[in-house]
Amino acid sequence: MAEEVRTLERRLQRLDAIVAELERENLELEQALALFEEGIGHLRASEQVIRAAELRIDQLLEGPGGEPLLTPLATPEAAAP
Amino acid sequence: MLDLFSEPVPEPRGEPARGRSAAAPARRAGADPGVTYTPSLLNSIVRELLESACPPVWVSGEVTGWKRHSSGHCYFSLRDAGAQVRCVMWRADAQRLPTDPAEGMEVRVLGAVTLYEKRGEFQLVVRELEGSGRGGLWRLAFEKLHARLTAEGLLAPERKRPLPAFPRAVGVITSASGAALHDILHVIERRAPWTRVVFCPARVQGEGAAAEVARAIALFGRVPRAAGVDVLIVGRGGGSKEDLWAFNDELLARAIAASPVPVISAVGHETDVTIADLIADHRAPTPSAAAEAAVPDVRALERRLADGRERLERAVRRRAGRARDDATRAGAALEDTLQELVRARRERLARAAAQLEALSPLSALRRGYAVPLSPAGRVLRRAQEFAPGAPFRLRVLDGTLGCRVEGEAGGEAAPAGDPLERTGDG
Repeated sequence: MAEEVRTLERRLQRLDAIVAELERENLELEQALALFEEGIGHLRASEQVIRAAELRIDQLLEGPGGEPLLTPLATPEAAAP
Repeated sequence: MLDLFSEPVPEPRGEPARGRSAAAPARRAGADPGVTYTPSLLNSIVRELLESACPPVWVSGEVTGWKRHSSGHCYFSLRDAGAQVRCVMWRADAQRLPTDPAEGMEVRVLGAVTLYEKRGEFQLVVRELEGSGRGGLWRLAFEKLHARLTAEGLLAPERKRPLPAFPRAVGVITSASGAALHDILHVIERRAPWTRVVFCPARVQGEGAAAEVARAIALFGRVPRAAGVDVLIVGRGGGSKEDLWAFNDELLARAIAASPVPVISAVGHETDVTIADLIADHRAPTPSAAAEAAVPDVRALERRLADGRERLERAVRRRAGRARDDATRAGAALEDTLQELVRARRERLARAAAQLEALSPLSALRRGYAVPLSPAGRVLRRAQEFAPGAPFRLRVLDGTLGCRVEGEAGGEAAPAGDPLERTGDG
């Protein structure tokens, strides 16, 4: 998920660039269609990411050598008081 | 009641002092010359007397000669215009002070009187010390640390890092039992459930809280970047000034400054700013607000995506429509061009034909000219080529005639030149 979120940001930026490019008047038709297809692809992937998933919670504790230890916690309800 | 000095033992506690003072004149007169005290015994008895006679009292005055011993105990005097009293504050109490009072600072202390037996000094054992005036000691401690951090440039606005727009994971440092964690989780789940939360529990108030929070911040700093913790929320819900004091701690402030990822401070309070707020990259008034600052809102994202889709489709529709128009226009233009081309060709052909016609000898014959030819078929152009009586042939439009020269040739009657040009006006 972490990588998907990182790409989500990139996708949204690319989407903005594509829209701006498409809205320019002097674009070859073929290029315009290719951009459109790419844009729709980013849209679909982004929608998939933001519609996905329950909140995931990890707990961070310090190991015996001072190293960080990450362990999953179940749900928000289990972690909350 | 017996004479105090008749027995080398302390008075029972709680006996009113007034009772003894009534008997004092008799005692002074009747000191027993047979009983001698040591300083230790005397001081011990006086200390017992003082401590049992005086309940804890609030005393206000000006601090002078404040000294914090390496043991953690603090020694100073309180004074006013007319007197001063020695004071001691034991480590357990002194370590609750946010800072040492400044020389001459007006304070109010809660203390119990006693005698320091070793020196026979009367002193006040201070349990609590409050600075009077605006904010008191808390304000003083805050200002001192603020000045130090400012001098180091750690509070400079240009040090503040922007928060990531789409954090992969949000680190949260707060109490495992407080409402702050619940609030933060709730907001992140509502706004950006794809974001992971990494929670590190730490006590946020009481002895050692600041160190624990600082340690947690440092621990997050050692989490590999690949784990995706892109922003940190450090905070707690509201509380009293003392509850929030951990967030004015220097160690904690420096841990925030050293964090490799941006830190959002979320100390729930209405009025006062903490040092943590000032040094953090972003200050939120509550834990919920911190979570809102940390993650994007799914609804805004959905709107943005919908808007993106609409603009994409509109732009491509417009582009396709323009392509169709272009094709139609191009077809019409092509047709025009072709017609123009054909017309031009035709005109050129007609012009060429006319020119050709003008140059043809037949056209001269048609206009009435005739061409004399020698019997061998050579064109005879000049008078001298015609000998008297010689035969020649004459080519006219529709045939050739046999002829003979009669008479002399006259040069003036037939000037040199092209017959075709000359005969035009004749």
